[in-house]
Amino acid sequence: MYIEADDAKLLLAEVGRFARERIGSAVARPETPVDVFVLDALTREARELGILPQEGAGGGFGLWEGTDDAGGMALSLGILAHVGYANAGIAVAWHRSALARWLSAALGAPFDAEDLHATTLVPTGHFGLARTAAARWIKSADQSDEEVALLADWLDRTAHTTTVIAPSPWSTLFWPVWRDGLIAWQRADRSQLTVTRLDAQHGLDELAAFAVRAGAGASGTATPDAGASRAIFGQVLALDMIGLLAIATGAVTRGHEMARDFAALRTQGGVVIARHPAVQQMLSEIEIARRQAEAALDGFAKPIGDIDIGTVAAARAGTHPLLCHAANQVVQIHGGIGYMRDAGAEKIVRDVNMLKLMTGGTREAHAFVAGWTGTFA
Amino acid sequence: MTASHLSGHLPADHALSPAWQFKRFPAIGRMLADYPARDLWDTDFARLPAPLARQRLRAREFAERYLVPAAAELDLAPHAAAGTCHPLARSILAEAGRQGWLSYFLPRPLGSMAWRTLPYAPIWQSTLIVEEFSRACGGLMLLLSAHHLGVMPLVLGGDLGTILRFVAPVYRACERGDPHLVAFAITEPGAGSDAEDGHGASLYHPGVIATPTKGGYLLNGRKCYISGGDLAKTATVFAALQGEGMDSWTCFYVDCTAPGFRVARTELKMGMRASGAADLEFTDMFVPTDRIIGGLRNGWALNRATLNASRIPVASMAVGFARAATETAVEFARRYLLGGKALIHYQDVQLHLATMVAETRAMRSLVWQEARHAWRPRQLDASLCKFHATDRAQHVCEMAMDLLADHGVQHEQRVEKIFRDVRLTRIFEGTNQINRLSMMEDWQGQLLAPDRPVGV
Repeated sequence: MYIEADDAKLLLAEVGRFARERIGSAVARPETPVDVFVLDALTREARELGILPQEGAGGGFGLWEGTDDAGGMALSLGILAHVGYANAGIAVAWHRSALARWLSAALGAPFDAEDLHATTLVPTGHFGLARTAAARWIKSADQSDEEVALLADWLDRTAHTTTVIAPSPWSTLFWPVWRDGLIAWQRADRSQLTVTRLDAQHGLDELAAFAVRAGAGASGTATPDAGASRAIFGQVLALDMIGLLAIATGAVTRGHEMARDFAALRTQGGVVIARHPAVQQMLSEIEIARRQAEAALDGFAKPIGDIDIGTVAAARAGTHPLLCHAANQVVQIHGGIGYMRDAGAEKIVRDVNMLKLMTGGTREAHAFVAGWTGTFA
Repeated sequence: MTASHLSGHLPADHALSPAWQFKRFPAIGRMLADYPARDLWDTDFARLPAPLARQRLRAREFAERYLVPAAAELDLAPHAAAGTCHPLARSILAEAGRQGWLSYFLPRPLGSMAWRTLPYAPIWQSTLIVEEFSRACGGLMLLLSAHHLGVMPLVLGGDLGTILRFVAPVYRACERGDPHLVAFAITEPGAGSDAEDGHGASLYHPGVIATPTKGGYLLNGRKCYISGGDLAKTATVFAALQGEGMDSWTCFYVDCTAPGFRVARTELKMGMRASGAADLEFTDMFVPTDRIIGGLRNGWALNRATLNASRIPVASMAVGFARAATETAVEFARRYLLGGKALIHYQDVQLHLATMVAETRAMRSLVWQEARHAWRPRQLDASLCKFHATDRAQHVCEMAMDLLADHGVQHEQRVEKIFRDVRLTRIFEGTNQINRLSMMEDWQGQLLAPDRPVGV
């Protein structure tokens, strides 16, 4: 099902209202994260409104349902930006579960509406992005023995623990595993896994952090054929990276508004601080980061099959640190109050940092880009 | 790690490795080229005058024994009600007091400063201690350090009599293991920067007012974000005189148990959570005339001198945080295996760590360079140190988180806490924007002098 850009805009206006009014009221106290019951209720509401996918395998306009056309992609990116504006933690929960649903569909596996509440996804191995190897594998480039060994280790779920950020009651996890030279997808029940709940993580307070390792008997692995394996892995990785960027852009948009509002009210030296070049400069830096991120996201509003994963990784590596800087400037403009949890600005910094570090982080994105574009003997 | 050399590098005994060959140089060549490959901390340790090196080592030992084990628990502890202190923090305060870490700005018998360190600027001594404490835990460092900020106006603004009457008893109590903390209160709601910038202050209407009364003054108003204000027994509070502006600012040494004083609330902070940031409320609080520090209407200058004295130690906090982040990243890279080998063997990881180490050591060089000569710290130098070191330290902490990637979000890995702690150093003691302007304010005499070149 395709959607025209104008229709997508109308739908996004509704999503924006839902995000600001329903989610916004639920998360009004930034120092008190929503509990799992509120998150579950909001998820049901979003599902009923069609913001999240409905029953069955697609056919709607929910998050990550229309990835085969530009309008659908624009809609998904807009949904994540709006929800990320209201609350990045909720946006990540929905993004990852909707992506799990997308993956199920790609693998031809069943995924019902209730799965949306209980399923999360990790698109990468236990650390980083496997340097250059993952990118080269997606591209079908010849792999050296060392690269194959690296990929096997990267996706070895029994030897290494993987950090999972998800709503605390999650019961099913999708993650890639290495099977005979291909990337397969394991859909593991929590009971099959060794799961350790970690201390409070850096940000995304609505979610929890877990160190997860596969048990010896973990099953439920789907292995596509070689071509599909590469395409699906590349597309899941691309959608995840784009999604995290969209959420971060939404969060920084919220921070930008907070900073502008504060700068228009707070006085220093007898005038509102918005009149001080020091503050104007910081507001401009936030604006520039937002514009760069929005331009990048606009470029990804096209069918997933047309999206180049190297471009996605490059955009993430180039843009996400700017968004982190922008979030920091939101705090800096607020001064002391920006450091306090009840003001909300510092949460944006922590959330945007988290989004940068997830999915392998941005440091290894450089190696990934090198693997995608580079020449190797 | 058992490998004899890092991937991509030659082993130390290789024919093309120079270090072992330096030892074979003739005597003069050996003298000029051969060097011991010491640990970097030890290298700087050896460069310090012996009394300061000993103090640095003592601070490190205290931090590792008392602060490190408590850091995570205090960071994760529920927000404490105003005026309460976590038992762990209380016991650390008492031990710190007994060991002299709350009284080191004056020599014995008034304080705990060793006589052999007297030839060295107290701010230099302070930076060494603060770096070690920051490396261990930002919150506990602030709990132990904000007190010195509170005492500073008493030292700078008072005569010997003031020191004997007010500072000595504070220090004695601390050394008995009964910590008497002193808070420094300048910030007011709606006026953080106006309390730290002359131009802003000239246009600001003060919020805490001192009204003359028989035998003293009545204080009314509110101060906010006062580090350690929730536990302080006394405080140096800056207030304007009734009907006058900021040029009437006066420092009052107040008893926090006196009627009219109230800790209204403490803030739930992003980091440095072992230390409270308090709102202090004054309602017709009587302060006797003999508790005016530095004289009427001398508060503004006293405030600025205090900030000049404190900003270099704040820069050393940044060094401590950058060092902690770098050391944590190095340890992670040494132990974490990817593709069967430790991360430290990957060239890009080596490049990343090299940058972090260089940044950290450049910060320390700057801080020590200024601290060494900071008997009378210049505003320009202190502000420059503060804004540059804290900005760069946050960058180093971000690099550490980037290196750990998905693992960097975990509290257990420490770097995310270090980031939350370092973030405050760019805001307090004047935002880094205010510190840049503060530097220019102090420099303007040279900048505007006609027909004179400006040296940098």
